[in-house]
Amino acid sequence: MSADIKKVCVIGAGTMGAGIAAQVANAGVPVLLLDIVPKDGANRNAIAEGAVAKMLKTDPAPFMSKGATKLVETGNIDDDLAKVAECDWIVEAVIERLDIKQALYAKLETLKKPGAAVSSNTSTIPLEKLVEGRGDAFAADFLITHFFNPPRYMRLLELVTGPKTDAAVADKVAAFIDRSLGKSVVRAKDSPGFIANRIGTYWLQVAVNAAIDLGLTVEQADAIGGRPMGVPKTGVFGLIDLVGIDLMPLLQKSLGATLKPEDPFHATVRPMPLVDKMIADGFTGRKGKGGFYRINREAGKRKESIDLITGDYRASVSIQPPKDKLPALIARKDKTGEFAWGLLGAVLPYAANLVGEAADDIVAIDEAMKLGYNWKFGPFELIDQIGAANLAKRLADEGKPVPAILTTAADRSFYRIEGGKRQFLGADGYYHDIVRPEGVLLLEDIKRTSKPLLKNASAAVWDIGDGVACFEFTSKMNALDGETLKLIGKAVELVSTRMKALVVYNDGGNFSAGANLGLAIFAVNIAAWGEIEKLVAGGQFAYKALKYAPFPVVSAPAGLALGGGCEILLHSDAIQAHAESYIGLVECGVGLVPGWGGCGEMIDRWAKSGALPKGPMPAVAKVFETVSTATVSKSAAEAKELMFLRKGDGITMNRDRLLADAKAKALSLVDGYAAPTPPEFRLPGVGGRTALNLAVHGFHKTGMATDYDVVVSDTLAEILTGGEADLVDVVSEQQLLELERKAFLARVRDPRTQARVETMLETGKPLRN
Amino acid sequence: MQVYQAPLRDMRFVLHELFAQHDGFGAIAAHEEFTPDLLDAVLEEAAKMAHEVLLPLNAPGDEEGCHHENGVVRTPAGFKDAYKQFCEAGWASLANDAEWGGQGLPETINKLVEEMICGANVSFSLYPGLTHGATTAIESHASDDLKQRYLPKMTSGEWSGTMCLTESHCGTDLGLLRTKAVPQDDGSYKITGNKIFISAGEHDLAGNIVHLVLARIQGAPEGVKGISLFIVPKYLPKDDGSVGPSNGVLCTGIEHKMGLKASATCQMSFEDSVGWVVGEPNKGLAAMFTMMNTERVSVGIQGLGIGEASYQGAVAYAKDRIQGRALSGVKRPDLAADPIIVHPDVRRMLMTQRAYLEGCRAVGQWVSRALDVVRHGTDPVAKQRADDFVQLMTPVVKALFTDLGHEAAHLGVQTYGGHGYIREHGMEQYARDARIAMIYEGTNGIQGLDLVGRKLGAHAGRYLKSFFHPVSDFIEANKDAKEDKNNPWGKLVAGLEQAFGALQLSTATIAQKGMADPEEAAAAGTDYLRLLGLVAMAYMFARSAEIAGAKMMAGEDPDGFYKNKLTTVRFFYERILPQAAGLLMAIKAGKASMMDMAEDAF
Repeated sequence: MSADIKKVCVIGAGTMGAGIAAQVANAGVPVLLLDIVPKDGANRNAIAEGAVAKMLKTDPAPFMSKGATKLVETGNIDDDLAKVAECDWIVEAVIERLDIKQALYAKLETLKKPGAAVSSNTSTIPLEKLVEGRGDAFAADFLITHFFNPPRYMRLLELVTGPKTDAAVADKVAAFIDRSLGKSVVRAKDSPGFIANRIGTYWLQVAVNAAIDLGLTVEQADAIGGRPMGVPKTGVFGLIDLVGIDLMPLLQKSLGATLKPEDPFHATVRPMPLVDKMIADGFTGRKGKGGFYRINREAGKRKESIDLITGDYRASVSIQPPKDKLPALIARKDKTGEFAWGLLGAVLPYAANLVGEAADDIVAIDEAMKLGYNWKFGPFELIDQIGAANLAKRLADEGKPVPAILTTAADRSFYRIEGGKRQFLGADGYYHDIVRPEGVLLLEDIKRTSKPLLKNASAAVWDIGDGVACFEFTSKMNALDGETLKLIGKAVELVSTRMKALVVYNDGGNFSAGANLGLAIFAVNIAAWGEIEKLVAGGQFAYKALKYAPFPVVSAPAGLALGGGCEILLHSDAIQAHAESYIGLVECGVGLVPGWGGCGEMIDRWAKSGALPKGPMPAVAKVFETVSTATVSKSAAEAKELMFLRKGDGITMNRDRLLADAKAKALSLVDGYAAPTPPEFRLPGVGGRTALNLAVHGFHKTGMATDYDVVVSDTLAEILTGGEADLVDVVSEQQLLELERKAFLARVRDPRTQARVETMLETGKPLRN
Repeated sequence: MQVYQAPLRDMRFVLHELFAQHDGFGAIAAHEEFTPDLLDAVLEEAAKMAHEVLLPLNAPGDEEGCHHENGVVRTPAGFKDAYKQFCEAGWASLANDAEWGGQGLPETINKLVEEMICGANVSFSLYPGLTHGATTAIESHASDDLKQRYLPKMTSGEWSGTMCLTESHCGTDLGLLRTKAVPQDDGSYKITGNKIFISAGEHDLAGNIVHLVLARIQGAPEGVKGISLFIVPKYLPKDDGSVGPSNGVLCTGIEHKMGLKASATCQMSFEDSVGWVVGEPNKGLAAMFTMMNTERVSVGIQGLGIGEASYQGAVAYAKDRIQGRALSGVKRPDLAADPIIVHPDVRRMLMTQRAYLEGCRAVGQWVSRALDVVRHGTDPVAKQRADDFVQLMTPVVKALFTDLGHEAAHLGVQTYGGHGYIREHGMEQYARDARIAMIYEGTNGIQGLDLVGRKLGAHAGRYLKSFFHPVSDFIEANKDAKEDKNNPWGKLVAGLEQAFGALQLSTATIAQKGMADPEEAAAAGTDYLRLLGLVAMAYMFARSAEIAGAKMMAGEDPDGFYKNKLTTVRFFYERILPQAAGLLMAIKAGKASMMDMAEDAF
C-alpha cells in the first residue's frame, strides 16, 4: 500500500466512478463517493448510495469482499464536498461536459489540501482544456487517469499529464494505481482518445466497413479478424455486441469532433442505416435484444447472426478461422485475404503514426491494445509478424503513405532479444531495453535468460534468484497430471540440497483448474483402476513432500486455483495470492471428493483458526459446507473468509508483482524455518456423519440437492468425520489420507460420477444428476 | 463339392445361452414376442433355404459369371429364380420394420441368417444386402414422401438398391467426387456423372433399381462438406407405384474380378437422371455413413460366412483324405493310410479356423445385440452404451472378421493341398471370394484408422468404456479363481487379464503418442484393431467357457457340444491369444521403422 495516499475521493457515482471507488476500497483504502443531490426525494445521498447498492448486485462483482464495501462512504457534492480536504487523491468521474468539470475543479481548487492529486477519468476531453482557468498550483496537482470498464477487471490505465503537472504528484498517483489498484499504468499523451480507444474505435470502424464492402457475413469477418490476428474470438462484431452498439456512434462523434481534419479516422465514418435501425429498435448488443449476434430463445436458444444487407436474423454458421500466418493471410488473393489486408493495412499504419502523437514509444501503444482490448499482440508485434519492410513496401506499392516509424525501422524488427533482454526500437532509430518497474518479476523474463533447473512434459523448475526456486505448471491449461507430481518430488529434492525456498507460481491467466480430468476419465474408460489409484496416492505423496520439506514453500495463485490446484496451496507454508484469485475445492461438482489431502488440510485450518467454538464438529461442519457445495471464492479476500487463505497470507493487487511478492514472502520465512508437525485430528465419527447428512437430506427434499449429491456428500462426510472413528480416537493425517483415497476410488467408479465428468468435459457445464 | 451346412448348434448357443443375460443392455420389449422356439424355427428354415436354394448356385455362378450386353446385365443361370423364392419367403425383409412390410425380427437373428447366406453363396448375398443398406439410409434420412414411394417395394425385394459412391479417381477420398446435381424448379435434381464399382448396379433380378448416389450440388463447397445424397431410380416410379419411363441411368460395363463373380460390379453412367435429395443438402456423407456402417458390419459377416464354409469343406476333406500315418501310431489299420486329420499341423489349421469362426460369431452376436438396443431400446442409458459399443466395434467387426475369414479360407485351401488349388472342390473360390471383403466398404487399413483416429479418443474415450468395463468387471468378478494356477479356469482368467492389460497399455500408449503425432496413432491402427479384436474374442470365449463348464458339471452335455467348446476355448487361449503380447510390442515400437525409410529407397 502506498503510504502517500490514505484516503481517496471519487466524484461521480456512475458506472465508472462507482467502480473506481469499489476498487479503491478493494485495496483497503477508505473512499468517499460523491454525486449530485437528486432533484426530488428526501435522501440527498440517494445517487451515491444507489450506486453502491447496485454494485452489490452486479455480476461480476465490483467489490472483492464484504469488508471492502464498508470502506465506501457516500455523500453528495452540495453537503460533503468540503470532505475532500481529508483526501490525498480526488478522482473526477462526472459527465463528459467541460463546463461541469471546470466548475467542479474551481470548487476543488479551494477545498482540497495542497499537494492532493486531482485526476479526471475523461476519455475525450484534452487536459489543457480541463485546467483552463485554474491556478498553477492546481495544474501541478492535476492529471488524467483513464480507467477502463469495469475498473476492477480491466487492467489498463492510461495516465496523461500536462506541461504543468508535477512529476512527483503523477508518480505518487501512478504508484498507487499500480500497487494498490493493481492496474498497469500506460503513459499516454494529451491527444484525442488517448491510445486504446483511438486505435480501437478506428479498428472496429474499418472492420465493419470492410466486411460490408466485401460482402462478408459477420461470422466470416469475425473468423478472419479474430484468432488469426490474436484478437479474442468474439472478433469485431462480437466485441461491438459486448460493448454496446449504441456506443459506436457516440465514440465516433466525440473522437470525430476532436481529431484533426486530416486524420484518416474521418474517412471511415459513413452512414450506417443498419446500425441506426438496430439501435432504434433496441438491438444494441448483449445488453439489448441482441446485436450482430443473438440467442434466439424462441428457436430453442439458437445462435443467430444478422445479415448485413437485409438486416434479418438467420442461424449462425460456424466458420473455421484461416490457419495462415499473417504474411500469407494478407497476401491471399481471395476475400479472406482482402479483408485481412483491408483491416491490418489500415489499422497498423494508423497505430504506427501515433508514435509521438499519442504515446512516446511503441511499447506504450502495444501495452494499451493488449490490456485495453485484450489483443494477444500489440500493433507493433503484429507488424513484426508481417515484417516492417514488407508492410512498408506494400503500402508504397499501393500508393499509400508510409508511416515514419516504418521507414525508421526499414528491414529491422520493432522488438528484439539482445543479451537475454527484450528491446524495442525507439523513434530515434535505436534499440532500448524494456525496463520492468521495480518489484515486477515475470517468469517470462527469467526464461529468456536461463534454462530450467528441472523440466518434464507438464512442469518446470526455475531459479528466480536469491536461492529461491519457482515451480511452474507447463501443461495445457496448467492441468495437473502424473508428470507434474513426479517433478514436485524432484523439486523437493533439488531445493533441499541446493536452495533456500520454493515458490509455486506461473505466468498464466489461471494458476490451475486442477487435475487433468480428460486423462483421468480416459483412464476410467479403459478401466485402468490401478493407474487411477496410483495418481491419487502419488498426489498425496507429492503434496506431503512439499508440506514437510525442510524449506519454506509459498504458493502464488492468480485466476483459478481449483481442486488439485487448490490443494497445493493448502499444503504450502504460506500463500501470496493475486487479488483476482478464484479458489475452491470443486471435486463434489463432478461427483468426486478431494483426494490429494484437501480434506485434512481444511479441517486443520479451521480447527487452528480460533474462529470457531470448541469441539470436533464446528471445523468439520465448516469444511463440509464449503466443499460439498463446491464453493469457489470470488476473490482472494473472499478466499480468506473461506479459510483457503490464512490470516498471514498475502494479497497482491497487481498481477505483475505477484512473483516478486511471493519470493519476498518465501525469503522472509527462511530464517529459522522448521517444517510443520503433522496434525492430529479429533473427529466426530459416525454421529457427526449422520448430522451432516441430515442437512443434505433437507436440501434434497427441497430440490436443492440431487439424488447423487446426497451420495457424494455422504462420501465427503465419511472422510471429514473420520469414517468409523470414535469421538475418543485420535485420527492421524495418514489415516485421513487413506479415507480420502478409498472414498475417491469409490466415487470415480460410479457411473454417475463418470457421467458428471464427461458432461463437464464435453459442455463445460455441471451435470445435475 | 462345396458342403456348407449352417452351424445351427453354435448359432443357438450364442443366441440363447451366451446372451441370455442381454449383456447389460437389458431386454428389448419390442422383441418379447419372438420366443426361442420361434427364433429356432426361423434359423432352421433359413438353413434349409441356404442349403437347398443358394448353395447349389455358388460354384456354377462363379463359373458362369454375369453377362453384360448393350447396357443389360444378366445374372448367372438360376439366380433369378432363387431371388424370387428368396423374396417370396420373406428373407429379404427379415429385420425391416413392419411399417414397410418387413418381419421386424431382431438384428441378432438377421445377422445369423446373413452368415448362412454368405456361407452358401456370398455373391448372391450382395443383391439383398445392398438393398438393405439403402433402405436403412432412406428410413433414417429421407422425407416421408420418398419413404412411402420407395420403402415398401424395396422391403419386399421387388425393387433392389445400390450405393453409388466411387468414381474412377476417388474411392477413399470422397471429397474429390465430380458427379453433379443441378437443382430443378420442382425440388428435384438432375444428376450427371459416372460411377464405378457399383455392386448390383444393374441386373435382371428386380423390377426397378434404386440408386443412392453421392453428388455435388452445383455451387456447393469443395471437399466432403459439399456432398449430398440422392435417390436416383433406374425407372421413374409412377404415382400408382408402378414403374414408368427410364431415367438416363445406364450400365456401361461390368468388371472382371478375382472373385465374387456372380455379383454384377457395374460401371454406371447417369445423364440428367432425375434424383431427390436424401436428408439435408451437403450433409450427404452423414446419410451415407448410416448405410455404410450397416454395411460394414454385414461385410464382416461375409468374412465369417465364407470362413465357415471353407472350414466345413476342410473338415470333410481331412477326414476323408488318407495320407501317411499318425506319428503316435497307426490309427486306421483298415486303410492304406490314416486320414490327414490325425496330423498335428492339419489340426492346427482346422482348430485355428474353428476358433476364429466361433470367436467371431460370438462377437458378432454381441454387436448385433447392441444394434437391436440402439434401434428398439427404451432406456436412454442402455441405448447410449449400445450406440457407443456399435461405434467402437463396427470397424473391428469389419476388419477382424474379414481378415480372419480370409485367413480361414486360405487354411481351407491349404488343408486340401493341390486339390485346394484346383477348381474342382470349390475351395479356391472361397479364397477368391473372401478377398474383396477386406477391401470394400473402407479397406481394413481404413478401419484401423477409424478405430484409432475417430473412435478411440472420442468423448475422452467414452466408446471404449462400453467394451473395457464389461471385460474389467468380468476379470474382477473372477479374480479369486486366477490365484489358483492349477485351475484351468483360473489360468483362463489370468490369460484374459494379461491380454486385456496389453490392450489397456496399447490404448494409453496410442492416446498419448497420437495426441502429439497423429502418424503414431495411424501407424498403430491395424495392430491395435487386431489386438482389440483378439481381446473381444477372448472375453466371449471366457464367458462361453463359464457356461460350458457349468453345463458339464451339471452333466448336461449329451452331444458333447460344451466339451468341444471348452477345447476350442483352450486352443484359442493357448495358441492364438498370446499374439496379444507381440502386438503390444509392435504398437509400443511406434512408427519409426516404417517411416524412416526414404521414399526413393522403395
